[in-house]
Amino acid sequence: MINFFYAYQPLIDFFLLNAGFALSQYIVLRAGVFSIATVGIVSIGAYSAAIVMKSLGLSIWIAAPFSALVGLAVGLLLSVPLARLRGPYQAIATLAFVQIVAAVALYAEPLTGGALGMNDIPKQVSTLGLVFALAFVLYILGSLSRSRIGAIFDALRQDEAVAGSLGISISFHHALAFALSGAIAGLFGALQAGYIYSIEPHQYGFVMLTMTLAAVILGGRRSIWGPVVGAAIMTFLPEIARPLAENRLLLNGLLLVVVIIFLPRGVVDGLIALVRRRRTSAVTWPAESSKEVRT
Amino acid sequence: MSLTVSGVSRSFGGVEAAQDVSLQVDPGRIVGLIGPNGAGKTTLVNLITGVLRIDRGTVSVDGEDVTAKTIVGVARAGVSRTFQNVRLLTDSTVLENVTLGLAQQEHSSFLDCMLGLPAAQRDRRAVRDKAMQILADVGMVEYAHRIASGLAYGHQRRVEIARAIAVKPKYILLDEPVAGMNDVEAGEMIQLFKSFAERGIGILLIEHNMRFVNALCEQIYVLNTGRIIADGTPAEISQSPDVIAAYLGT
Ligand SMILES: Nc1ncnc2c1ncn2[C@@H]1O[C@H](COP(=O)(O)OP(=O)(O)OP(=O)(O)O)[C@@H](O)[C@H]1O
Ligand SMILES: [Mg+2]
Repeated sequence: MINFFYAYQPLIDFFLLNAGFALSQYIVLRAGVFSIATVGIVSIGAYSAAIVMKSLGLSIWIAAPFSALVGLAVGLLLSVPLARLRGPYQAIATLAFVQIVAAVALYAEPLTGGALGMNDIPKQVSTLGLVFALAFVLYILGSLSRSRIGAIFDALRQDEAVAGSLGISISFHHALAFALSGAIAGLFGALQAGYIYSIEPHQYGFVMLTMTLAAVILGGRRSIWGPVVGAAIMTFLPEIARPLAENRLLLNGLLLVVVIIFLPRGVVDGLIALVRRRRTSAVTWPAESSKEVRT
Repeated sequence: MSLTVSGVSRSFGGVEAAQDVSLQVDPGRIVGLIGPNGAGKTTLVNLITGVLRIDRGTVSVDGEDVTAKTIVGVARAGVSRTFQNVRLLTDSTVLENVTLGLAQQEHSSFLDCMLGLPAAQRDRRAVRDKAMQILADVGMVEYAHRIASGLAYGHQRRVEIARAIAVKPKYILLDEPVAGMNDVEAGEMIQLFKSFAERGIGILLIEHNMRFVNALCEQIYVLNTGRIIADGTPAEISQSPDVIAAYLGT
């Protein structure tokens, strides 16, 4: 058991980091915001932590909360222009944001080390630290889920005009989702920087973006466990499928397609819905079909 | 004290969907709004509630001008509504749909919610209890834990009415609330809407079923091609030549 843990420790650590990124992506999607800014804010969080750790010699205990605050501020700032956009337009605008961040990381060489990135970042983050951070984030998101905020996020995702007609502020709660997403991204960016010794711009690009998005789509957008399970699949599956070598990416793609077709709500939310259906099996249950009756 | 619409107009391209519409709903009164298909009834509800922008005219709620307000602003001024094409959260349970209407009445702070403190939990419990009471009023208690999209259409309408009344509105706009209900169900709604009015809520009732409208309304406005062509008691309306012409087509 202990041996097993040591053999797979790096993988477990990557899973914990990926779960953090996925939770940042999840919270905006849950609230019905199609932002994919997470990767950009993770990058900002990683660089800000690396900079304060290296140049000011601060410990991760200061750097991580600092990056979380930076991420929160960036999330809030982004929410202002994005409030007027919806759906695919939000996705495109936040994609542009991710690319701007990557460009700045590349060209602000004195600060970020440019294309070579930043090296010799003190390694101060352990597996335990990552577990602790993830547990902390899950606790907060779990509490929010059980409160009215979770209910309001679910409503905004399904039909924001209805939420508005009940007097629920759409812009306030979208900004809240952005701020939470930004804070989580900043925090886990810092933890990543304090874990992997060196960071460079291309880490925060397309691969991380699809990984994070796929984790939420695979896992689910409603339960907080969805993105965690999704991140686990995205982290461990390529390892299990190692014998497939180059075809591993194919497997990822295939899995995504299968889940979208058979469990469109994601693995966790899909299974929860199945269990609920079992419990009330006498009930007529047309999936998502009230639209059919609409006149 | 009233919901007052004065001289409201709105056109879409060339189509005048509302032309100089004026009407008034007093607290505790049930006012009917009838008119043929495409007359502009739903458009008027959307204009009042801030879903659509008003070109000319004003809307006020108990003296407060809400003409330029957003959906949220009008709702907070005390105007609630149901939708002609029922809009429930289809992925959520009946209870969750109704508690959403009560969310604005919770007092716990954001910090309470974030840390899962007792204040937030108390709020949720209180809101759930209140939602169950409201569901009892509309006869939907036994469906509380069903997913909304699985319900019969008439039941979905009841849930939407429950959600709209949960926000404790001063005025409620009901857009064809008994469409798809049978006579027995519609009869139950008559009692329900009367009880809303007795609580002091002003109701604007849009409905094609004239028996239903006559059973509830002392005053009826008739809309045709975006204009109010008549208003008065059910008896006066049924005698108006304009109304007869509008319905039979001239
Ligand atoms: N957003 C819009 N854009 C263009 N035209 C619109 C829009 N909304 C409504 N209209 C037009 O306004 C007119 C009034 O439509 P409305 O739906 O308000 O009628 P209604 O009285 O509610 O009819 P029904 O009894 O069928 O519900 C119609 O001619 C409709 O095509
Ligand atoms: Mg209509």
